[in-house]
Amino acid sequence: MMRRIANIAVLLVAALLCYGMQTTKPHYADLTAPIPVYGKIQDTLRTRTFDIAVDKVAFARTLKLNRFGQQKLLTSGGVWAIVTAKLNARDRSTMVAAATWQGPDGLNYRASERVSLAAGALPVALDPGVAGKTRLVFEVLPSQVTGATLSVSGKLAGPLDSEARIALGSVAVQADGLPEGTIETYELGETF
Amino acid sequence: MFGSARSKLKAWIVGGMGTVAALAVGGALGVFDALEKPVVLLEPGQPVETGPWEVRPLRAYAVEKGVYGLPLKAGEKALVFEAEMTNRTALSSKNYFTTFQSTGGTDDKPYVVLVRDSSMAPALQPGLPERMAYVWGLPAGATPPDRFVLAVNGQIYKRRDNLYGVPGWYNEHVIGTVAMPVGAGPDTPDAKP
Repeated sequence: MMRRIANIAVLLVAALLCYGMQTTKPHYADLTAPIPVYGKIQDTLRTRTFDIAVDKVAFARTLKLNRFGQQKLLTSGGVWAIVTAKLNARDRSTMVAAATWQGPDGLNYRASERVSLAAGALPVALDPGVAGKTRLVFEVLPSQVTGATLSVSGKLAGPLDSEARIALGSVAVQADGLPEGTIETYELGETF
Repeated sequence: MFGSARSKLKAWIVGGMGTVAALAVGGALGVFDALEKPVVLLEPGQPVETGPWEVRPLRAYAVEKGVYGLPLKAGEKALVFEAEMTNRTALSSKNYFTTFQSTGGTDDKPYVVLVRDSSMAPALQPGLPERMAYVWGLPAGATPPDRFVLAVNGQIYKRRDNLYGVPGWYNEHVIGTVAMPVGAGPDTPDAKP
């Protein structure tokens, strides 16, 4: 009898222990998440494979782009955010392939695929000692502009690899709801 | 000897009860699954929440010439269906290829185009409604139907999937069907809500 009760008690304790670990311990996805490197605009962030320094952030209502020899005017239901950054490989040739604009409400905007043919769009190949640069274009809700964070990483899904997280700071809002300094048309030329 | 036979019998009975219970539960679940669920009929022009998307079916029409940058050869026809789609998730997504499915009479898979600038299947951004065109080719010699019946599919959100423990949208299921009147060409007006 005592033996049976002891068995049941051991079983209950084990179940409780398992439940406690399940609720308090980090999950697989958290354990294998990218390792962030934090910074702000103009800082040079050193990740495992590349260095990045964001130059500036511009906003525009429309984009002008040369697509297959045709001038295209790209409109948006939100606002275009254009981020230019300097890149450098660390000690070997590498790629920078993914960028995400994370708004203050946690909405994640990947670099727009509508402008993936523009000069400087990801993916960018880097070689050590050769200054590289990129121009990231995002299409975001105007409410997700101020207090945003830019994440840049070498791969689209990079578990346990480092990822640059750049705080883009606060941006004032114009009377029409768009961010301060929004221009009408930004030209995505060959040079930037 | 009889004692051991009795305990064997007991074990058989206990094991048999378990098996019968499992079979009964499985059978009952199967019966409930197989019950004909009434098909929900959705109205053109009305917003529908599918889980990851909020969609509003707007119009359908047949074309004999290329549309939104998609080329059509002479004699080929296509059915175009347009809807307004809003990404309800927190991440840019192109998880919309099976949101609308043709229920027959067309090619299997559509081309999906962003109407705004004819980009082929770009990821849509959270919170920004976009008008998308689904273009199905018609088999050679087929005439476009008067009404184009589409299945609208939804998915459910799981905070952790069973394999990797990551959040995502799973278990695609039919929410309802929408019958779109097929117009004669790209001038077809949108369905009013």
